[in-house]
Amino acid sequence: MCNKLSLTLAVAGAISLHAQALNHKIDFPKDSPVSLLSEDFGNSNATARGANLIEVNAALSLRNSGQKRIRSMTLMVSTQDAAGKGSVSVPTLDAGPGETFSVHIGTRLVRPLTAGNPVVEVTLDGVLFDDLSFFGPDLLHSQRSMIRWELEAQRDRKYFKTLLAAGGPNGGIEGLRKEMLSSLARQGDSSQRGVQMVRGRSTNIDAERESQFAFLDIPESPVEASNGRARIGASLAGAPQFEVHNRSNRPVRHLEVAWIVKDQQGREFLAASMPADMTLVPNQSGQVSQDAALRFDRPISIQSMSGFVSSVEFADGSQWIPSRGALDQTRLQQLVAPSPEEQRLSQIYTKKGIQALIDELKKF
Amino acid sequence: MTRHVIETELALYATGDLPFWRGTLVKVHVRGCDECRGLVEALRMDRQGLRRSADDMPANVDWDQLAAEMTANIRVGLAAGECVTPRERKVAAISWRPMAIAAGLVVLLAGAWWLNIPRSDTETIGRALHNIATGERAGERVGSAQEERGPVVGASSAGVVLVENGGQIRIDQGGLEPVMYSVSTQGSASARYVDQDTGQVTITATYVQ
Repeated sequence: MCNKLSLTLAVAGAISLHAQALNHKIDFPKDSPVSLLSEDFGNSNATARGANLIEVNAALSLRNSGQKRIRSMTLMVSTQDAAGKGSVSVPTLDAGPGETFSVHIGTRLVRPLTAGNPVVEVTLDGVLFDDLSFFGPDLLHSQRSMIRWELEAQRDRKYFKTLLAAGGPNGGIEGLRKEMLSSLARQGDSSQRGVQMVRGRSTNIDAERESQFAFLDIPESPVEASNGRARIGASLAGAPQFEVHNRSNRPVRHLEVAWIVKDQQGREFLAASMPADMTLVPNQSGQVSQDAALRFDRPISIQSMSGFVSSVEFADGSQWIPSRGALDQTRLQQLVAPSPEEQRLSQIYTKKGIQALIDELKKF
Repeated sequence: MTRHVIETELALYATGDLPFWRGTLVKVHVRGCDECRGLVEALRMDRQGLRRSADDMPANVDWDQLAAEMTANIRVGLAAGECVTPRERKVAAISWRPMAIAAGLVVLLAGAWWLNIPRSDTETIGRALHNIATGERAGERVGSAQEERGPVVGASSAGVVLVENGGQIRIDQGGLEPVMYSVSTQGSASARYVDQDTGQVTITATYVQ
């Protein structure tokens, strides 16, 4: 009896030893405009079960230790030998010098079992300030996304402030209220689907047919997309390719095309974005071809596809994004996700009411 | 001779099969006994009836062969009867020791599996077995990124995930449901979360290296 009890305790002890406290490292550059006030990795752990299963559940308290207002920040999360990188971004910040803010990181990593305890590293990838200047190594090319979020925030705040200042039945406080309700309705109606992107396999997909893209032309867009097509199979689409033409007078170095899919029931949804790094001088055309396949987590019969140019980055780093008017005219507002700032403002309206929203809009 | 002759001796007498001396004694008795004489007559008539019946049987019958065939048919019939009759199964005696050993092995294997095989691999094996059982092709199911050999990024209401070279990174922000998610053809997936109290937006992403 005593032996059995000892054996049971030994097995229980061996099992419990597999879950270890997580070794972590937070590494910000010395001249970083963000400093770490406190960290809590309380629920994080590493478990050795054939591979290292690392669960990161951390809360960081940070302070703007620079001289400019911070609009957004991206942290990179990684570990040795793990697949790829992960990031956590806060795009709707407005942290002035000396102000604090918090970031939550919930990540699970699996990496091959190696000697030694795994170490999770949290590093700063970039900080964007209110003057669109940037700090950070930008290993994840987060600067481009952060500038786009800020441009969208400026666009939407300006739109809501103009609406608030306007008179008439569609302006003023009632106009802002209607717009918030409309935004919330759009957010509730957006039909999203789980989707996967498989790279380097598009030539292997069981394509049934080739389908053309119907590109929605936004007149103000500096780049025009045309002649797009992709291979379509059962619940998947792959090998997209299209032509682009720079119709602006500025050289372009990067662009993104939104990929919209319509199913047999006529429902449209934004399936993916197709970014392309390419140099296009004014009036130059080019071809974009991507070896990737898009797959949906639920069976879908793709009836048709469409797309539109959703952002353009010029050679000087500045960006173009569609205006709200352009999105309204092409009825893309229903398909395109609201900006992070619009979601934040609509949440403030939902939680605190119209006056809190007006106060928020007056801040900057 | 006042006592009647027994019936078996009368039968032998009727067929002329008694020895001479015994046959003479029975003959004297039968002449003086109406009952025994009647019985002898009846036996003789029965014998004549049997002879007439034997005359009706087919000629040249090989009785030995007929007997062998009848025996064989009887055996075939018995064997066929066993085939259609439910057999009584022998119930093996159940011993608790083999059962305990088997249970111990199962616990040991399950423990070894739990300790050494990552959950993602277990899920992959389960999905593969399910696909085999249902005849489903791997390409028809997207719920798991592990089915692909190349790098795969995925975005869903469960967050974002990247699977590459046997490793995996998943960001789910503590089980919160994203308000939107998307993937890009350059190999990234992102999900957006909104804090219900402060409205602060957090965007998580994974990237193929």
